[in-house]
Parts: sequence; C-alpha cells; structure tokens
Amino acid sequence: MTAGPFSSAPRPFSTVLVANRGEIAVRVLQAARESGLGSVAVYSDADAGSLHVEVADEAVHISGETLADTYLNSEAIISAALSSGADAVHPGYGFLSERSDFASAVADAGLVWIGPPAETISTMGDKISARIQMIKSGVPVIPGEELTVPDGADHLGTLAACAARVGYPLLLKASAGGGGKGMRAVQEPKMLRAEYEAASREASAAFGDGTIYVESLLTGARHIEVQIIADSHGNCIHLNERDCSLQRRHQKVIEESPSPAVDSELRQAMGAAAVKAAESVGYEGAGTVEFLLSSRGKFYFLEMNTRLQVEHPVTEMTTGIDLVLKQFEVAAGLPLGIIQADVGLSGHAIEARVYAEDASRGFLPCVGRLATWKTPQGPGIRVDSGVRQGDAVTIDFDPMLAKLIVHAPTRRAALRRLDTALSNLIALGVTTNIGFLRDVIAHQAFTTGSVTTDFLDSSDISGFSHTEVESTVLVAVACAAQRLGLERAPSDGGLGALDEHTGHPGDPFRTLTRSFP
Amino acid sequence: MEWSVGEGTGRYTARVSDSEGLLSLSSLNLDGLAVNSPDVSISRANQHGRLRVEIAGASHLAHVAKLGDDWWVHLDGRIHVVRMHEPGSAEDESVEGGLSAPMPGTILEILVKQGQRVREGQALVVMEAMKMEHRIQAPLAGEITKLHYSVGDRVEMGATLVEIGD
Repeated sequence: MTAGPFSSAPRPFSTVLVANRGEIAVRVLQAARESGLGSVAVYSDADAGSLHVEVADEAVHISGETLADTYLNSEAIISAALSSGADAVHPGYGFLSERSDFASAVADAGLVWIGPPAETISTMGDKISARIQMIKSGVPVIPGEELTVPDGADHLGTLAACAARVGYPLLLKASAGGGGKGMRAVQEPKMLRAEYEAASREASAAFGDGTIYVESLLTGARHIEVQIIADSHGNCIHLNERDCSLQRRHQKVIEESPSPAVDSELRQAMGAAAVKAAESVGYEGAGTVEFLLSSRGKFYFLEMNTRLQVEHPVTEMTTGIDLVLKQFEVAAGLPLGIIQADVGLSGHAIEARVYAEDASRGFLPCVGRLATWKTPQGPGIRVDSGVRQGDAVTIDFDPMLAKLIVHAPTRRAALRRLDTALSNLIALGVTTNIGFLRDVIAHQAFTTGSVTTDFLDSSDISGFSHTEVESTVLVAVACAAQRLGLERAPSDGGLGALDEHTGHPGDPFRTLTRSFP
Repeated sequence: MEWSVGEGTGRYTARVSDSEGLLSLSSLNLDGLAVNSPDVSISRANQHGRLRVEIAGASHLAHVAKLGDDWWVHLDGRIHVVRMHEPGSAEDESVEGGLSAPMPGTILEILVKQGQRVREGQALVVMEAMKMEHRIQAPLAGEITKLHYSVGDRVEMGATLVEIGD
C-alpha cells in the first residue's frame, strides 16, 4: 500500500470500496483515482460486464439473484472490503447509503465510513424523528402528523383516523423512503387502503422497512433543496440551492441551480435554515436539506438526505467545488478548508436525467440493448453515465441511464445548451425520455421558470410531443439503410474511418500531404 | 416489405431507386394507396451506422441501428423507430379485450377473480419492474374470463395477463 493523500490525516485511508453501481459508482470510483486513492467496485451477476466494474482498480463479485443478496447485502459488502484491502466505504446514493446499521457495521469492521455518523443517519433518515428534531430546532415543517404504524397492529383504523385529522388530499410517506419510492398521494378516503399497501410494499422492497407516515399534500409548491457540507471540526456551510420542481410521480427529472424562484435574500434564509438543521444533529459530510417552497414564498422542511444526491453535479458546476473529493477529505477528518464567504455562485447549471422509459406510455420503464450510445461533448457539457454502447438495459435496476449536465452564464444560455446537447445524445435500441426532455424544457412553463412539483402529473404530456420529421422521410431512411445493408455489425468496432497518416479519425492538423504537429 | 412509423400510422410499401449510391424513393404507398414520395436523397456516410440525408436540399446526418425488426433512426435531434413487417402480416395484436404486460416484471398482486365483473379503469393486477409498481387497469367494463398468472410469476413484456369478456 503506497502512501495516499490521507496517509497522515486524522482518519487515514488509502482505498475506497464503492457499495453501488451505475453512474454514481463510476463517478465515485473515478474521483478516488483522481485523488490518488485505490478503488474497489462490487458487482452482481447482472453487472459483470458493467462500466463501473471496468473503471475500478479491482472488482469483487457478490453472487445472488436479488438486490437483498447483492447491493443491499451489507455483510457481503463489508467482507468484500476486508478481503480486497479497502479501508473506506462510499455508499453512493440509494441502496445502503441511508442505512445507519450499515454505517455502524462499516465502522465496527474498522473501516472509514464516507458519510455522516450512524446516529445522524438514523435521526434524519427516519422521516418521523427528523420532523420532531426540526420542530425542536425551529426549522419550519409541513403541516401533518407523525404517526408510527407498528407492524401487525390495526394499521388501517389508526391510519384512517390520522388521515381524517390531517385532511385530504394527503401524502403517505415511507419513514425510510426516498427517491419517490414508498410515497403515494391519496386524493380521497376510499383510496387510502390501496395506496397505503402499495407504498408500504414499495418501501419494504426498496428499503427493507415498511413504516409509513401522513403529511398534508401541498399543491403548487416548488421543490427547493440546499446542499450542505460539514466537517468533524464544527464547520458547516451551504452550497446554495437546487430547484428540482420538475418531477413525475415524485421522481426528479430536471434539476437546476440557482432556482429561478430564489433571490439572494431567500437563498440566505434557506441556507441558514439548512445549516441549522444539519448542526442540530451534529452533521458531518455532504448532505441535502430538502424544502417545499409554497406559492406564497414560505419554505417548509421536507426531509434531509444524508448522502450524495443524484443531482449534485449542478452544485459542482456553479460553485466549482467537487463534492465527492470534499466527502473524502471530511471522512478523513480534515477540516473543510473553506468558509461560507468563499462559496460563489457562477452562472447557471441544469441537469436532465436520461431514463430508459416511454414518456408517452405513462413513463413505463423500457429494456433493450443500446446499439448506439453517443454522448454530446463541448464547453459546459458534462455527462455522468453508467452505460456504454452495446450495454443491455434490463429490468434488474433503476432505469436511469445517465445524467446530462450543462453550465452556461445565464439560464437562457443553459437551456439552449441543454437542448442542443440533448439533440446530440444518440441512444438507439432502447426507448428513452430524450425527446420528452427536449419538449419539456421548451415548454413555456419551464422556460419562464414557473414549474411546480405537480406540473408533469397534472399536464397532458401527449400535448408536448411534436414530430419534426415526416413519416415518409423516416420510411425512406429505413429503406435506404436496409438496402445499403447497414444492419450488419461494423468490422472495426464502430470506430469509423481512421486517418491513414496519423491513425486518428479526422485529424484536423493534416492537410493533403503534410501533418502539422 | 411493409413499414410502419410509430403506432397507428398505417403501413407503407416503398420502391427504392439507386443512382450511383444516391438512394431515393421512386414510389410510395400507404395502406395500398399511392402517396407522394418525399423529396429525400440518401447516401452512405463515411462512418458505419450513419447516412447522409438530403431533405428538400438541406443536408442532415442520420444515425441508424437495426434491432430485430426495428430500424432506429436519429435524425435532426430526434429518435424514431421504423418497423419492418412481412407483407400482409397482422398488427402486433393482443388478445381481443385482453390486457398485456406493458413491461417485463413480476406480478405482485391480483385484485380480481375469474368471473368477476369490473368497471372501466378498475385496477386488476399490480406489477413491479425496476423497483417501481405499476397498476394494470381495465380498459373497458366487462367480466374477467381468464387470469393467466399468479402472484410471484415473472412475465415478459406483452404477455397477456387478464382477459375480459362481455
């Protein structure tokens, strides 16, 4: 083991195991390499050929058919860390990232946990105790009722009484939930039972805990969240807000920073509330305090995510701070090294989540093989991808393929850049939401920055779509492709024509006979 | 060969003419009736899976890939699917009044019994795929005549789950 960047830190570590898959595993494994740390991936049978396995220094196979056997199997993951010589564990998002028992098990095994302390995760991860903690600390919360429905008790009677007190429409939330899973809106009493059972089942499957609570459903609100980061020396700062109001079925689709609805005064107030929320539980590491911003400009604590968020790149683009590197430093016991006044806000960043799903059919997940996968490049364009050309998209995992993030001086410029980048993202073989994303960001509600969280679910999505190309043209293209025999796989692996002089395709320094250095 | 674009647009048949590598449609029929051929000429681009497409004099680069009977086409910033059919073959039908799985997944719950009358929009089956739940609803009122699967079964996309009769 060579001396790494943290060999003389208070909590030294030199090799990070990433207990995740897909784009976030790739992101963290690459950050580890960039920092001079060793990197270890874990993978299930279905992921044996996946990108995150390829980018790691070493990869440990965890056998089993279900997520419980693999990416949710804390014992197997910890033994993979120990056997591979990793001395730190990064959980990514989802899976075990907000399981305090996993955080303690990692620490008990003598490994460094790259995340907040287990007690913090359990206070904030349990939405009910988080609400109580926020009420105590004077952070405003959504009107509702904290209600534990114990396993096996007469849950429906208790729930119905509580629902009647809170009032309809309401929101059922899994206490252990996140990412839209285990969360269901209930419009009227007769839907309570079915929605409760669905939410509870989803939560049990995704998080291994089916406890649910009840909250008033605020309509016409925006989802604004504040990124915070804290060290083990008592320093805690916020890195501005992200606006994640564009959601479908409580899953985020597009996120941006700054929010078109937040001015510097509100930014300061929400930032201060987020820091207060984090400090009240002795937070350490990167975290996100989520708020709902009502149409009247009042904000309410929604929940705290004690981990890295999917949408963290928009904050990185506008502040210039690499959140994963900061997570490593803080986990190693180093001080933050920056104060609130150092945090800037440069330009505007927007992230679009590219899902394998059919927007025209209720966002149904789609499967297939990515015969073509070409991502856009250029100034201010970032693609965090978990897939490569040729990869299969299966039903085994979340349908998010990649995140396309753009950064530009203004929101208008960022929107143009995003639209151009989306039109240059070529995904053939699996139905994706790329066309839908282009339609959404061209919608007047989005261009004017007035989208609220119920926008997609209450809009007629079929009205968004528009075809720019005639069917007859497409038939002509397909006929020509068939005639030219383009269905056959390329013999050169798809690299295309190489310049015979330099060996590179399309070398711009080459003229007719000479190559310029 | 017959071609369709998207759903419910009808079947095209086309004749392709090749003039020194420049391809165009010399005739085009939609559901047996002649329609105007588009002003398009297409040639091979220098990289595999790419075509140069001239539409009314404007040049575009298309990316194409074939999977099964589908030609996937990326053209002018949009992705489309053009499906090939054997001449005279039927639409990709599901059983009359039947309900098929919209995606591959697992049956979580069956909310109706054989012989039960259901109303339009009533939830019949709950499926799970990619960790999310989806409800299969009755497209019309009627009586459940057949249930093809049980709780816990894994089903392929397009599998008929439930049949509804009058």
